[in-house]
Amino acid sequence: MLEGVESGIPATADNEKIYGGVATAERPGGTQPKLCIRHVSKSFKSVNGSAYVLEDINLEIREGEFVCIVGPSGCGKTTLLNIVAGLEKADSGEVWSNGHKVNGAGTDRVVIFQEAALFPWLNVVKNVEFGLKLKGINAKQRRETAIQYLKMVHLSKFQKAHIHELSGGMKQRVAIARALAMNPEMLLMDEPFSALDAQTRWILHFELQNIWLKTKKTIMFVTHNIREAVCLADRIVMLSTTPGRVKKEFQIELPRPRDDNDINVAEYSTKIMKELKSEITKVMQCEMDADSCVECDIKCTSVIPEKIDMGGGI
Amino acid sequence: MRNVAKRVVFFLMLIGVWELVYLCGIWPEYVLPSPVSVGKTLVGGFQNRTLLIGIGISMKRIAIGYGISIGIGIFLGIVIARFRILEDTLGALISGLQTLPTICWLPLALLWFGLNDRAIIFLVIMGAVLSIAIATDSGVKNVPSLYIRAAKTMGAKGWRLYLEVIIPAALPHIIIGMKQGWSFAWRSLMAGELLIVCLGLGHLMMIGRELNDMSQVIAVMIVIIIIGIVVDRLFFVKVEKRIRERWGLTKS
Ligand SMILES: Nc1ncnc2c1ncn2[C@@H]1O[C@H](COP(=O)(O)OP(=O)(O)OP(=O)(O)O)[C@@H](O)[C@H]1O
Ligand SMILES: [Mg+2]
Repeated sequence: MLEGVESGIPATADNEKIYGGVATAERPGGTQPKLCIRHVSKSFKSVNGSAYVLEDINLEIREGEFVCIVGPSGCGKTTLLNIVAGLEKADSGEVWSNGHKVNGAGTDRVVIFQEAALFPWLNVVKNVEFGLKLKGINAKQRRETAIQYLKMVHLSKFQKAHIHELSGGMKQRVAIARALAMNPEMLLMDEPFSALDAQTRWILHFELQNIWLKTKKTIMFVTHNIREAVCLADRIVMLSTTPGRVKKEFQIELPRPRDDNDINVAEYSTKIMKELKSEITKVMQCEMDADSCVECDIKCTSVIPEKIDMGGGI
Repeated sequence: MRNVAKRVVFFLMLIGVWELVYLCGIWPEYVLPSPVSVGKTLVGGFQNRTLLIGIGISMKRIAIGYGISIGIGIFLGIVIARFRILEDTLGALISGLQTLPTICWLPLALLWFGLNDRAIIFLVIMGAVLSIAIATDSGVKNVPSLYIRAAKTMGAKGWRLYLEVIIPAALPHIIIGMKQGWSFAWRSLMAGELLIVCLGLGHLMMIGRELNDMSQVIAVMIVIIIIGIVVDRLFFVKVEKRIRERWGLTKS
């Protein structure tokens, strides 16, 4: 009944290559990955030294692929997405987007944040036009493009509305239109629907899938909601926690558009959830009784002297 | 509506008491004129256009001075927020100067510019510019980083990032500084016009004093108060409310 093939291969360098080979065979034309994350490590300075948040992340995303990144809270999903976006710098390793090395933010990778991040001093259509204006596109043309994408998210009626007059779901749709209007190579989405209620999220899952089917954008979508990931993704990448590593990958091969409440989606979610549980338990232990659980403490802070080069092999 | 009614009744009563005290005849006309003669002076001043010209000249001065303050103030605020070294030096200087009453700039203005318009405009600028600079500095520092990150991924950088994102995002702070700056500017304009005799509303008051025409003095005072109220209540309070609402800062 379940068509999906689970490929629970730990992401050591070798296995990843095998995996990459499988992936390219599946989709002809995807010889060069759209996004290439190579040996990315990142640590943050904390009171007790510098704790690794991401350690040797390797990931490839093919053109037109919809990849969801899941993992327990605090495992570094947002950090990874920010590094890909160029909003944060990795300590070591590199990110290649469309054959170019990522070195700062760029309009080929537009981010959609958890809060819509729309500009309240502009109305809806001017928000959508924002990036086009910066690109130097003339007023008439950018208005046309903006309306076109507002239509895609079914909000063209609200083009003159002010941001504070929109609901949370509408704001996120405007943010999606604003990102799509830039015609980026990739969309990077960081839990864009997590602040919304279940019904709105359900609608937006449909809309996003339809948009994706229409535009064939490459999407990297961070979420902690497994069901959301199963509903949306071609492939789910699960990160482990402290330090964040690619723990497992799952190929989801259900017909689209998928429904959150579909039995197959539910079954898949349960299966992946089981995998995640062990990670979550680990986090819970760390966060809840970090004071009492000494053994866990050692594991979870994973304080590494800065001199040791963890990003080796580059 | 009830508030308006309360106020109208209050002011009518105030005028009534004033008229009563006047009728008692304790003070001579040149110390306490009747409300009626003040009213006549007001109407007469508008009819022979002396008051209108006075208002026009004062408003022109404040428009120039205040306009320049907005430009300089926002620029200073941004560079202070942007460069750490300027924050520690120029920022400290500006906070220090802020404690200095604007009228203390008068001697300096007289020596630099002489007894003329430019000295008055200088006073107006000194009155408003510091408040606007300080407010802009704190506004820029408080811009949600989310806006900046979103703008960056859409290709905003350099001065366009400031023009299109940071300044508008800081507007709720900047408008507070502009409001405060306005009231300082208005005060220093009047101080300047009273002391540097060259037309304007302040000058009209001084003429009233020289002619022992108390009703003219009071009439001009009323005009000054009304302009102050109109700009503060009808303009700034409204604009500030509108901005806070749009920027989603009002609690509903
Ligand atoms: N600027 C920072 N300074 C110090 N530590 C940070 C910083 N940003 C993130 N961290 C730490 O890095 C870890 C990963 O953070 P990140 O936001 O990437 O997690 P996440 O997977 O997105 O979590 P969530 O699902 O809750 O959003 C956290 O433990 C967090 O405390
Ligand atoms: Mg996050």
